[in-house]
Amino acid sequence: MSSQDTRSLWADAFSRLVKDRWALISLLVVVTYALVALMATLGIGMPDWRSSLGIEYLAPSGEFWFGTDLFGRDVFAKVIHGTKIAMSVGLITSLIAIPIGVVIGALAGYFGGWVDDIISWFITTFSSIPNIMLLISITLIMGKGLLSVYLALGMTGWVGLARLIRGEVMKHKEREYVQAASALGGGHYRKLFVHILPNVTHLVIINTSLQFQTAIKSEVILSYLGLGVQGEPSWGTMIDDARMELARGVWWQLAGATLAMFIIVLAFNILGDALRDALDPKLKGK
Amino acid sequence: MTNYIIRRLLYLIPVVLGVGLIIFILFNVVAGDPAPLLLGKHATPQQVHELREQLGLNKPLYMQYFDVVRSSFTFDFGRSWATRQEIFEMIKIGAWPSLTLTIPAFFLSTVISILLALVVAFYRGKGIDLFIRFLCIAGMSISSVAYILFFQYFFAYKLGWFEISGYEPQFPDFFSYVALPGIIWIVLSLGPDVRFFRTVILDEIYQDYVRTARAKGLGEIKVLLKHVLRNAMIPIITYVVIQIPFLILGALLLESFFSIPGLGGITLNALNSSDFPVIKAMAVLSSIAYILFSLLTDILYTVADPRVKLK
Amino acid sequence: MLKRLTIILSLLLVVLGCTREQNYNEKVLNLISPQKIKGFDPIYAADMYASNEIGKVYEGLLEFHYLKRPYVLTPNLAESMPEVSKDGLTYTFKIKKGVVFQDSKVFPNGKGRELKASDFVYSIQRMADPKLQSTGWWLLDGKIAGLNEWRDKYASAEKVNYDEEISGLKALDTHTLQFKLVKPVPQFLYALAMTFTSAVAREVVEGYGQEFQNYPVGTGPFKLGYFDNSNRIVYEKNPTFRDKFYPTEGAPGDEERGFLADAGKKLPLVDKVIVNIIVESQPQWLNFQKGSADILGVPKDNFDQTVVNGKDLHPSMASKGIKLEMVNSLDTTYIAFNHEDPLFKNNIKLRQAMSLAYDRDEANKLFYNNTAKTAHSIIPPGISGHKADYKNPYVAFNVEQAKKVLAEAGYPDGKGLPELSYETVGSTVARQMGEFFVKKMADIGVKVKISTNTWPELVKKTNTKAAQLFGMAWGADYPDAENFFGLLYGPNEAPGSNSSNYKNAEMDKLFKQSTIMQDSPERTALYEQMYVMAADQVPWIYGMHRTAVTVLHGWLKNYKYIEFTQTQIQYLNVDLESKKVLVNKL
Repeated sequence: MSSQDTRSLWADAFSRLVKDRWALISLLVVVTYALVALMATLGIGMPDWRSSLGIEYLAPSGEFWFGTDLFGRDVFAKVIHGTKIAMSVGLITSLIAIPIGVVIGALAGYFGGWVDDIISWFITTFSSIPNIMLLISITLIMGKGLLSVYLALGMTGWVGLARLIRGEVMKHKEREYVQAASALGGGHYRKLFVHILPNVTHLVIINTSLQFQTAIKSEVILSYLGLGVQGEPSWGTMIDDARMELARGVWWQLAGATLAMFIIVLAFNILGDALRDALDPKLKGK
Repeated sequence: MTNYIIRRLLYLIPVVLGVGLIIFILFNVVAGDPAPLLLGKHATPQQVHELREQLGLNKPLYMQYFDVVRSSFTFDFGRSWATRQEIFEMIKIGAWPSLTLTIPAFFLSTVISILLALVVAFYRGKGIDLFIRFLCIAGMSISSVAYILFFQYFFAYKLGWFEISGYEPQFPDFFSYVALPGIIWIVLSLGPDVRFFRTVILDEIYQDYVRTARAKGLGEIKVLLKHVLRNAMIPIITYVVIQIPFLILGALLLESFFSIPGLGGITLNALNSSDFPVIKAMAVLSSIAYILFSLLTDILYTVADPRVKLK
Repeated sequence: MLKRLTIILSLLLVVLGCTREQNYNEKVLNLISPQKIKGFDPIYAADMYASNEIGKVYEGLLEFHYLKRPYVLTPNLAESMPEVSKDGLTYTFKIKKGVVFQDSKVFPNGKGRELKASDFVYSIQRMADPKLQSTGWWLLDGKIAGLNEWRDKYASAEKVNYDEEISGLKALDTHTLQFKLVKPVPQFLYALAMTFTSAVAREVVEGYGQEFQNYPVGTGPFKLGYFDNSNRIVYEKNPTFRDKFYPTEGAPGDEERGFLADAGKKLPLVDKVIVNIIVESQPQWLNFQKGSADILGVPKDNFDQTVVNGKDLHPSMASKGIKLEMVNSLDTTYIAFNHEDPLFKNNIKLRQAMSLAYDRDEANKLFYNNTAKTAHSIIPPGISGHKADYKNPYVAFNVEQAKKVLAEAGYPDGKGLPELSYETVGSTVARQMGEFFVKKMADIGVKVKISTNTWPELVKKTNTKAAQLFGMAWGADYPDAENFFGLLYGPNEAPGSNSSNYKNAEMDKLFKQSTIMQDSPERTALYEQMYVMAADQVPWIYGMHRTAVTVLHGWLKNYKYIEFTQTQIQYLNVDLESKKVLVNKL
């Protein structure tokens, strides 16, 4: 596989992705969410969730699309702020988990031998401890808050990818093009990073969309356990509030947060599928 | 093969040592002091000191880690700090409710997912494929907490179809308690399962041998069941079996919301009260289960595909 | 495969179809415990939920009168109230004759033996046993002659010797028990009404060893039938329970409310008690609504569905025969300053400003549905020392005044004040309360960030004096102001119960003086003086004295709110006829 082949593979993938109407819509949704999150971060044109309207638990109306909460705050504004939190959780945990996963997996797969033994031992040990224990203990150490949510999810999210990359790199190592590269005198790092890794990028991309939505969903569970975001609304804390609200008939916080989350996770899922179909050479010519 | 199994079993040793170390560092070195917590709001400093002594928290760290290692290999986990119950007893009692919830739910969700995956693979690219896939993806895009809150309120309370919460250990009484959480489990797993199985099956469908089989005039359904499913068995087995060890730990949220007295609740309580011996026991047991089941996966490979040899 | 699946599914549906039938031949109480129950060892009965369960099986010398208010002690296993010597140091109890322990295999022939005075000696020694680390030791620490010495002697020994005589704790004969105290301790009798000091039999403790906590054998009204600490506890009526009768007199108004309908009847009044452990509030509430629980404390968010006008039951519930009980509970909520922190230590103005900026009326509305009372100082109403006519000037919500005082404190508009850290636990309500506090402080320019902890972390932080601001509530262990003032007593600083590390020489002096005084007008005057001082000094941002809001089904009789719940269940009754009717309305 020459570099020209690789390029045409990407171009091909892109053209297929664009042809897929649903994937395109999903991409649009993701971009919209990202924009909303960005604007909320910069404080441009977004409603203020802090201001209390004084009337608690107003049902949804033309004025307050998603009603108000216990403090009389606009639930829609909270959903928007939650979007910022969710997107940042997805982005930052991916930024932590993916490099760890790629590097660890690639080193193990490429070097094999004792390097692989140690890394495999570490991966096995790590994945044999139930995820929730690790999540809770990392937040215990880091103290609560957004930062520890990022770290906890980032530091537990790399295992699957590391395994995947390790396997792929092992396969590629034996391929002709790598053999050729070493015949030409390419060093280990050149071979690994210049030749092999670009060929496993599609795994990384597919995994990112997965990591993103897993992180968003995990934030809710951490919030349920009281370990989530503090002092500002997130979808997780909103759903957590609903634990007590639903029985009294206040369904809109649950509905608002769930809907917002549903749309973005759905978009990531469809996009992930489409990316997989577009990037996986095996399915070419389906 | 025997050699391989022995080697894999020996691998348990470094893994359990590693798990013990990670848990020990996280919960004994870094986390809160359990002594004042166990003694309550009126604890005297003298009591705190005495209790730390009794729990072995004043020993040097390597000695404490040595205790962790010893208990991991002897299975003598002692008593919970928080409840003073025998940990082995707690696990024995808690395992049943967890398993009665997770095993039927896991079994059903796996079977239903494989069937659905076959259906969507058969109709790949057609409307029904898109529809089922969409449902699956939509289903997994909703938070589990939202499902639990809503299903409990609506199906158990409003419609009265299920028990709201609680548990009865006798067969078949427990079914009426685990039914609703079980359904939520299935709804939550269908999405990822069907997607995964569909991918695996499609991977096979484009292989040459399938084309050959079709060329020989075999019907599509026969091809799917006889050739494709059989060859897709390895990834399916891996995917399924490796989830089993975590079934033992139960389903944390489901157990808590439906008051099912399983291991998930025990784990959560232990984490919330810095109950180190229980956390350690759960982590060590789950890691052992993990290794044993990954070994089982390897052995099943050879059964599913005689070409695979274990060295 | 499909066929098999259909079979399984239809089996499942058949099973689901069988719902449990109600049994109307037996009087059964259905209760909810929101916490898992650790076990039945009285010496660890520190939390209310464990204490409630242990109190069904075990009994102590004294108890709080079920109906009379304010709370008074009455004899339980004691024949009568003790004889107290003139110097207030010697307490002599006569124990009821003919009281037997429940039948158990550890006794000869399985028949429970008679209770003796020496059982109390043993039970109280267990509280002091350094190997057992009772969570109730603080009640007796430094109070009974010879007990601390006995404890210290065996602190590092291999085995504790229970046969050694303790000078202040003696059985004079089989039915006479004598305590000698080292100093007058007016609160001593309260300790004997708490679950910690219940009578256990040595044979049982030694017979079951470490499993003792799972096999309770007491003298109490109920016998443990089934125990799964995280699922369900079932009790049967104790067939060998002594003749104990429902009280024939109560507080004014009890007669009219029907609390004396069962007067003089033999206790307990029900045959069986089932306690379901349900941690989550949604299933608790739904179970009550379905009638599978007889009684429930109302979670804040269910209040609107329950109560209208802040006092009446919602018509939709009243029509189902549900009743409402709203009674002040003996507690105080507060946000504590850490007085080790130089920021707060000598800056009373800052503390006052923050207290002024906290809107208690709004908090009351949001979190307590307007049922709580503003706390002006540390003692809740119902305990002597509370001054009903005293108004603390710093609990009135006044942003302007708060800003002024903040400027006087040296931080005009919060300038120069670092961001403060408010420590709380991760529960939904605690988080919302934290958000509310942050919002109120922001209004005067004080920046506060919330730091959420698991309970162990918060305990660690307060014990190591690392928490800057933290929200707390204190409920009375017994109805005496001493139990509250101890929280501000200098020598009790962290890791003791004074977790805000407040020190005030004058308060400490008064407190020390009051602890050896018997209940008297002089002591009440002293308490009131301290009450005002604890208000003026703003050692905490006082919050509320809460109201317990409880809903119960119409078939449940004799439910009167009692702060000290451990012996309550034996007085409750179930009207099966009305249950048959009311269940259909749910």
